[in-house]
Amino acid sequence: MPRFLLHRLLQGLVSIVGASIVIFLIARLSGDPILILLPNDASPQLIAETKRNLGLDLPLWHQYLIFAWNALGGDFGRSYRWQMPALQLILDRLPATIELAICGLVFSVAIAVPVGVLSAVRPGGWTDRFGRVFAMLGQAMPAFWVGLLLILFFAVELNWLPAFGYGGVSHIIMPAIALGWYPVAAQTRIVRSAMRDVLDSDHIRLSRALGTPEHWIVWKYALRNAAVPLLTMLGVYFAAMLGGAFVVETIFAWPGVGRTVVEAVFSRDFPVVQAGVLFTSILFVLSNLLVDLAYGIVDPRIRADR
Amino acid sequence: MLLQVEQLRTYLHLRRGVLRAVDGVSLHVAEAETLGLVGESGSGKTMTGLSLLRLLPRGAGRIEGGSIRLDGQDLTALTEADMARDIRGRRIAMIMQDPMTSLNPVFSIGDQVAAPLRYHDIASGAVLRSQVIDVLKRVRIPSPEQRLGDYPHQFSGGQRQRIVAAMAIGCTPRLLIADEPTTALDVTIQVQIISLLKRIQQDAGLGIVLITHDLGVAASLCHRIAVMYAGQIVETAPVRAIYKAPAHPYTQALLAAIPRLHATERRLTAIPGQPPSLIDPPEGCRFAARCPHRMDRCAEPPPVVDLGNGHSAACWKLAA
Repeated sequence: MPRFLLHRLLQGLVSIVGASIVIFLIARLSGDPILILLPNDASPQLIAETKRNLGLDLPLWHQYLIFAWNALGGDFGRSYRWQMPALQLILDRLPATIELAICGLVFSVAIAVPVGVLSAVRPGGWTDRFGRVFAMLGQAMPAFWVGLLLILFFAVELNWLPAFGYGGVSHIIMPAIALGWYPVAAQTRIVRSAMRDVLDSDHIRLSRALGTPEHWIVWKYALRNAAVPLLTMLGVYFAAMLGGAFVVETIFAWPGVGRTVVEAVFSRDFPVVQAGVLFTSILFVLSNLLVDLAYGIVDPRIRADR
Repeated sequence: MLLQVEQLRTYLHLRRGVLRAVDGVSLHVAEAETLGLVGESGSGKTMTGLSLLRLLPRGAGRIEGGSIRLDGQDLTALTEADMARDIRGRRIAMIMQDPMTSLNPVFSIGDQVAAPLRYHDIASGAVLRSQVIDVLKRVRIPSPEQRLGDYPHQFSGGQRQRIVAAMAIGCTPRLLIADEPTTALDVTIQVQIISLLKRIQQDAGLGIVLITHDLGVAASLCHRIAVMYAGQIVETAPVRAIYKAPAHPYTQALLAAIPRLHATERRLTAIPGQPPSLIDPPEGCRFAARCPHRMDRCAEPPPVVDLGNGHSAACWKLAA
């Protein structure tokens, strides 16, 4: 394994351990789960006994070590609420979240790259203007509102797409758009400015001077240069979509990790919250690692620095 | 004549006015000849070079008049598509000042040298590969077979300029426009690039327009020199004549401003004043305001005076 990869993996591990400590502490700051698990009039003995059974009577650091040790073995404890292994619960929901994040990202890139490129080629042209309006709309409208509008229009009025739930391709279209719309603006802008810089560079001028057809210049020579800053951004957005899809997942009743974790937070279901957040942070680290790998493919200078 | 430019005028339409970057330039280049286009920054030499390829700043630059004949064909009459397909890279190639930024950082040099051959339909497949290797050999890149997959950052500045030269000469153009090809390089590397250009010229009978502000580089590479000032050519002469007997006061001042190794005076001589704005330039001689020999007649456009042996200069003093 190349050294940089090892380096990145170690960095990732540190992040994950950090995330596990933070989420462990925060979950416990949010209140006592016993109050939710047991009826209000439970006797002090019952409370004490339940605490002992669940290990909640131990000091925090001891609880964390037990949690960390078990987590290493894949045991995040049982969901207080669903009475099943927390990890199992999260893993069951994970594919739906990844699926949604990928579709959201594909949607945003599919809009951002062509609009960004064409805006850069003809600044002030109609694609540029349309792109700006589109981008502004995307940034001005929160995901839950976009989601509601989509449902209103495509599900209620036109009856083309199912309003919620999980199933075939038709189910994912609206959640993916709702999730992917917000980053379109930022991505378009980064593609546009990167392309403007590249199209103004000496090597593009040389390509023109040697008669390179304009579509090669734009879509081949310039775009690959512009892909580097876009990639960085995609890594961040992909991770954010994995972890932050709970709003969209909630609106569309999408059975993903985000929604499950939000529900677990409300019911102080610590094991599920911990498993969910830890898993999301692992995915975050992995997606950044993927971006690092992709850099190497796109930009040989970065390959060499390793 | 390989290249014959007559009364070329290229204007830049800027927000603050029309800038007459190239204002009535006439020049010619024969086969296997190097013409040096010499002048200070802003004198219009680069714009002249770009005009030959009709690669002007988009939206702003336009050729307003004159003709550019390459082997008798007027390039100003061609369509943009014809320019891209038949002229640029094919019959006129260009290399630019900064080799560090002239190559695309994310494509291998094999790819980049192959590109002009590919889109000018000169070669493909295995033939293309061998041609790329061949042209890299001609510019003296060591063991090119092993380096086709390498990227620009893996080469030194001098090597990169060689690779740029390889891209330019791959399609065996007739004319090469070299815009300050050695300015960004170390002096020792400069010498190598100059001798490389000379060799390429001898091999291929290439005409070269060398754009430079460096009179030393011009002297070592050029057969003839055209001195540009404020968008116009003020003097044209064989290289020896320019250095031995400069006729135009600007050329004289330019040569006097070169620091000499054995000079007795300690201060550098500079030409007082500044070139005129090319938006609304003076009607008469554009150098008049800075000229030590200024006369009343200099308020009118100076005549181009033929001094014999291919030496001419635009100055009233010479007409007298």
